[in-house]
Amino acid sequence: MPDEEVLEEGVLNPVQPEIQDPLLKSILAESEAVPAAAPTEQEQAAPLPDPADEVDCVVIGTGAGGAPLLARLAMAGLKVVALEAGPRRDPTKDYATDEKAQNFLFWNDERLSAGQNPVAFGKNNSGTGVGGSTLHYTAYTPRAHRGDLQLHTDFGQGVDWPFGIEELEPYYEEIEHFLGISGPTPYPWDPTRRKGYPLAPLPLNGAAQLMERACAQLGIQTSPAANAALSARYYQEGIGWREACTNRGFCQAGCNRGAKASMDVTFLPLAESYGAEIRADAYVTEIERDTTGRVTGVVYEQHGQTVRQRCRHLFLCAGAVETPRLLMLNELALSSGHVGKNFMAHPGMQVWGTFPEDIRPYKGIPGGLISEDTHRPKDADFAGGYLLQSIGVMPVTFATQMVRQRKLWGQPLRDYMRSYNHIAGINILGDCLPHAANFMELSDEKDARGLPKPRLHFTAQENEQRMNRHAEKLMRQIWEAAGATDIWAFERYAHVIGTARMGRSGDDAVVNPEGKAFDVPNLYICDNSVFPSALSVNPALTIMALSLRTADKFLASLRA
Amino acid sequence: MPHYPEGTVRALLATSHVTPATKAALEARLHASADYAPQFFDTDTYQLLRAVAARLFPQPERETPIELAPNVDQRLTAGRADGWRYDVMPPDREAYRLGLGGINQAAQAQFQQPFTALDEAGQDAVLELLAAGKAPGENWAQVSQKYFFEELLAELTESYYAHPLAQEEIGYVGMADQPGWTRIGLNQLEDREPTEVKL
Repeated sequence: MPDEEVLEEGVLNPVQPEIQDPLLKSILAESEAVPAAAPTEQEQAAPLPDPADEVDCVVIGTGAGGAPLLARLAMAGLKVVALEAGPRRDPTKDYATDEKAQNFLFWNDERLSAGQNPVAFGKNNSGTGVGGSTLHYTAYTPRAHRGDLQLHTDFGQGVDWPFGIEELEPYYEEIEHFLGISGPTPYPWDPTRRKGYPLAPLPLNGAAQLMERACAQLGIQTSPAANAALSARYYQEGIGWREACTNRGFCQAGCNRGAKASMDVTFLPLAESYGAEIRADAYVTEIERDTTGRVTGVVYEQHGQTVRQRCRHLFLCAGAVETPRLLMLNELALSSGHVGKNFMAHPGMQVWGTFPEDIRPYKGIPGGLISEDTHRPKDADFAGGYLLQSIGVMPVTFATQMVRQRKLWGQPLRDYMRSYNHIAGINILGDCLPHAANFMELSDEKDARGLPKPRLHFTAQENEQRMNRHAEKLMRQIWEAAGATDIWAFERYAHVIGTARMGRSGDDAVVNPEGKAFDVPNLYICDNSVFPSALSVNPALTIMALSLRTADKFLASLRA
Repeated sequence: MPHYPEGTVRALLATSHVTPATKAALEARLHASADYAPQFFDTDTYQLLRAVAARLFPQPERETPIELAPNVDQRLTAGRADGWRYDVMPPDREAYRLGLGGINQAAQAQFQQPFTALDEAGQDAVLELLAAGKAPGENWAQVSQKYFFEELLAELTESYYAHPLAQEEIGYVGMADQPGWTRIGLNQLEDREPTEVKL
């Protein structure tokens, strides 16, 4: 508990004892029964060489998929170990406010991008280090809508999730209050929510004000966005006080204040305070099984050593490229034929313009303003929908994207970039349908470890192209209304989704509705690879919600 | 187009507005030695890369231009990647060898001279062909000139705008983020943010 501060009402210890304690009690009461509930011991062909070395659960990956469940499992009294491929860093000392110096936050092992719309990785949504991709996520945390989970019901395209939004709502509420989400209450596009955001929205920067002004003219409703950066100091169990955001605008790299709710300053310290062990620089190469097909442990490389860790249960939370890659490399859970398939990426088209106003795009959270009026546009000729966000941007990220699109070079390039302080953008985040042409496979080319590099095929199909056209037209209208000149669009795709999807049947899905592999009795998968559909919102909050839900389903199965 | 006074970022680096980690990263670039001995490229190819970089980022106003080629050479020497590669492209080292060789082939085909022997107009003419995907040369059968040009331009652009002098040029002072920004709305500046100057 905090020593000097008095806790404010409504901000107090967001991990609610009334939710946690009965679970903890029941698990602790049955702790004797937990090993017996796992029949592994009797069925092992050979006795374990060192039973003391076996832990209840190994979690691979410490991002939005792995960290929340790691905390939940540790709080339930289980012995849990997390393996993180990247290092553990100290944000206050190691995080320079410099884009290039922050490149260590990205998963920079090479992936091969194929198809008509090759997807960028690295700084585009692939992270490494204790905290995973949340170290450099922009912390946009809109909730999915009811309709996002039932695209097939509503449009006859894509697939439905095997459960409704009711399953996620309690977890959204819990996470929003645990992380200290800043956002509008009531939420304009979902005014009947049971609980509002715990903190007021963050302030609007120049790009957000321009979009707000133009949308008001055009009759488009906007609101300050929900964001997992703190608009006020906030207390969290296991961590203590986290400081408020200072509008340094550097969310797409690391936050050096702990104001952004990356996993390293939220769920991971919570997990460690309950006894979870996090091993950094631990790159998993093998998943071992016994003759019955149960996972018995994993093998990883750490500081030049090969290490084996035995476990009763494995949680694979390595993200939607490394998760299917590990499954393929280990020929695990492949019977559905859907590992690596159904690769979806959010249409993330950006429209940029130059304004007479002084914008200084490096200040404030990048995506200050949101509109979800386009969640189901009335004039849409496509399934699903999208949201709109304003964008402020750092100069290196902006310049490199801009040259890829506009191919400016020489004096025109330097001249255009002189207007950096007068440039602002809007982007969309839209739903994506699965398609047979979009998938991940292992290539013949090897990485430095001698493992095959992943190859990802992505081609925007008719639905994504129609959505892009709709969105580009609307965003150009907004920027014209805002007074922009030299307006240009950048077609891009972000987030890796769907490569080990969840479903009701092992014929067309890799994991069941509880996140458990159909093929393997003690393997759970939890990250954006299990999403049956892409959603029309940024995925991080939903990954975290699934993570807690997966942990609860697993814990309930232990008690059963 | 806006212009900003010189020396803004350099002055801020000496203040507590910049964290020690940030200062270290920027000063390393600011004080990088001008004479760099290539490790990956041979001397001729390295000079070719420098010449190409000098046309993609012409800096006639600077006595000592910001050097962009060393970062490429260092990265290729270390074998570092940025997380992805166009599947149609060969591995980065091979792509650079083929692409730079292709630029020389295009210069020979157009002007019967190597790229580095051409005047600025001739060099720009070759780069225009490359940017348009119309450069002659047998190497382009093995490497896509569209994607080579895009990757080369993006890599040099990252190095250029990561440099404190280039950041001064565009009026970026986001590195001076301590203790934070409070005036973040339209047309709101804090004292440490540079104002535009009339030329």
